[in-house]
Amino acid sequence: MRIEENRPRDAWHVDEDDLRAYARGELAAPALWSADAHLTSCATCRGVLAEVSDVAALDAGWARLDAELDAPRPALLERLLVRCGVGDGTARLLAATPILRRSWFGALAAVLITTFLVAVAAGAAGRPTLFLVCAPLLPLVSVALAYGPALDPTHEMAVVSPMHGFRLLMIRTVAVLVVALGVGGLASLALPGFGPAALAWLLPGLALTATGLALTPRLGPVLAPSVLVCAWAAVLLAADAARASTDGPLAPFTAAGQGVSGCVAALGAGLLFLFRDRFDVSTRGVA
Amino acid sequence: MTSMTPTVSASGLSLHYGRTRALDDVSLRLTPGVTGLLGPNGAGKTTLLRVLATAVPADRGAFTVLGHDPASARGRQEVRRRLGYLPQTPGFHPDFTAFEFVDYVAILKELADRRERHREVRRVLDEVDLGDVRGRRIKKLSGGMRQRVALAAALVGDPGFLVLDEPTVGLDPEQRMRFRELIAGAGEGRTVLLSTHQTEDVAMLCHRVIVMAAGAVRFDGTPAELTARAAGRVWNSTEKDPGAKAGWRTGTGSFRNVGDPPPGAEPAEPTLEDGYLLVLDGADTEVTA
Repeated sequence: MRIEENRPRDAWHVDEDDLRAYARGELAAPALWSADAHLTSCATCRGVLAEVSDVAALDAGWARLDAELDAPRPALLERLLVRCGVGDGTARLLAATPILRRSWFGALAAVLITTFLVAVAAGAAGRPTLFLVCAPLLPLVSVALAYGPALDPTHEMAVVSPMHGFRLLMIRTVAVLVVALGVGGLASLALPGFGPAALAWLLPGLALTATGLALTPRLGPVLAPSVLVCAWAAVLLAADAARASTDGPLAPFTAAGQGVSGCVAALGAGLLFLFRDRFDVSTRGVA
Repeated sequence: MTSMTPTVSASGLSLHYGRTRALDDVSLRLTPGVTGLLGPNGAGKTTLLRVLATAVPADRGAFTVLGHDPASARGRQEVRRRLGYLPQTPGFHPDFTAFEFVDYVAILKELADRRERHREVRRVLDEVDLGDVRGRRIKKLSGGMRQRVALAAALVGDPGFLVLDEPTVGLDPEQRMRFRELIAGAGEGRTVLLSTHQTEDVAMLCHRVIVMAAGAVRFDGTPAELTARAAGRVWNSTEKDPGAKAGWRTGTGSFRNVGDPPPGAEPAEPTLEDGYLLVLDGADTEVTA
């Protein structure tokens, strides 16, 4: 060992207490770095380290390493989520969200293309109305597809787990909303010339999503979003009949309409929080 | 056995689906060991299991699991922390590996520490003999293996109360035998409620058996007591006896009849199945235990 031969005599050695901490894996940087560097070149300290190392702790260290090597490598989506700072448990829960896993990428592509085509058609007509009418349904439908007994094969096991159903719902909802709103936002950018008006779908979208979720314990995961889709269509038809000129914006996309949407979104979120315990048991008739 | 503190204690559980009475005033006490739940289709077995597993609330009645009452949100969570549940048709995320799936259930069961959780996942997969295929995707596993993955998921966290809904359905005889061994092992030191169509499951595994029909408990006792219901009420004949409640030709060619034997009939040794048939027939509605 040439390095050792070159070691200056009477050199500094790692403190024995530090070596004990090092053996337990508890030595913190920068002392850890010093110990690491020094141990590679000092046989004396390596000898001391071997003496002070607790055999049980060493075994535990090997077991930890063994478990790390043994655990299967998570799928791409999970690794990406962990890379983005999501906890590994939450990442696994998200990876099990049906819509984020199975046909999600296909669906995402379809939605992107459709939205873009709608945006182009709307752009050609000179007004973003068509896009504004469709876009709020994107987060509502995405969230509705993200959970529920029809699409989650492990729904029954998830319901009887101690993790609160509402927490699982929120984890999945936030993930799906981030994606759906991102897609909608990108599509809005494809509508140049309308400025902030192209984002008028956002608040109605959030209002529909929050209300849809709040109604789910009562109406079920299919009927609740369906009712909301019909309600949105009715609101638009009424707004169309009531508007003063054919050139003016529909009521939901005016400043007053945005205010109402914001209030409904807040109300829906409040109701959702009030009803949170209802997400903790299966809806009746789900066998 | 009846003097033991019950793990599960239920009284007057009733549940209606529209006009259908799925559960009708069911009361029971479960103690450690495997209790079998027998009954024909539509008897209410799955409904009872789903109520006891806190998946659906009952209309009336109450129950406790290990001293916790699931009527409140808090109590329900405490019950769920002590529960392992294998549903009748367990669902899987087919793209997950066996390890990832059981790990997913472990996360739902609040095992937060990654290292401990992974150790527990490996333990339960080893327990159901799937240690070697833990990295294989669930869609590539056989039906019997998937069923064992579901059992492993139910065993995560070492629950004190294990609810298994017809776990041996769809398994071939060898797999069924292997599964029975696993359930017998799981029943050591914990309370297992096992619903099944198979009287052999009960005969081989259970220290106690409950027979349900039309949402109500028809019999509650030991397998030996259920068999004893048929004592003196089983006989063999060369032709099918028209007075029998049930009769079938056996492998030897003679008929085995269950019911009230005619004078001079040749009595036969009763089995658990004979007792079950007689209880279902409605002649015996008395609950013994």
